[in-house]
Amino acid sequence: MAAVAVKYPAFLEIGAEVLTISVDSAATHRDWHERELSRMVPGGARYPMLSDPGGKIGTQYGVYDPEKRVDLRGRFIIDPEGVIQAIEILGIPVGRDVSELLRELRAFQQHRKTGELIPCGWQPGKPTLPEEEAAKKIAGKIWEVWKPKNAF
Amino acid sequence: MTVQIGKQAPDFSAEAYHQGTMKTILLADYRGKWVVLFFYPADFTYV
Repeated sequence: MAAVAVKYPAFLEIGAEVLTISVDSAATHRDWHERELSRMVPGGARYPMLSDPGGKIGTQYGVYDPEKRVDLRGRFIIDPEGVIQAIEILGIPVGRDVSELLRELRAFQQHRKTGELIPCGWQPGKPTLPEEEAAKKIAGKIWEVWKPKNAF
Repeated sequence: MTVQIGKQAPDFSAEAYHQGTMKTILLADYRGKWVVLFFYPADFTYV
């Protein structure tokens, strides 16, 4: 979670709140924060670190592994109405990419603000596609307005 | 209840450590804001 702690200012900048959660107790979170996380990241983790004893919340979100008794690396983007907009769940050996998460958040925010559709690989400043009704009119002609190189 | 894109995120309350204090966090208190909820296997491991 250290990468999230490092990038926390970027989340604040776009008005997104971060909550982290594992089966550890809140007291264990405190110990980990004091002994390790705050040494890895200046200022440590400034977001709430939640406790999910027995994986009850993880089970609700479909990420609890009852054999290993841990919550898998699941990540959920929840919009201001409390609706889930994106889900990523990774197997235990592989960590996530915080940059991609921030890109997705910015993309959902852009869509919400403008109605525009957000093509793959979009970054702020790159072209979007018109909102849904207008997009219907250019169906089959998107190749004229959007090039695959825009995705990279 | 299963989680699905476009459906309400399941509400919960949880004990939390936050900047030196212990508190109870309710997901419902975050309405009106974008939230990223990160699950992870355990403290004292990498990532």
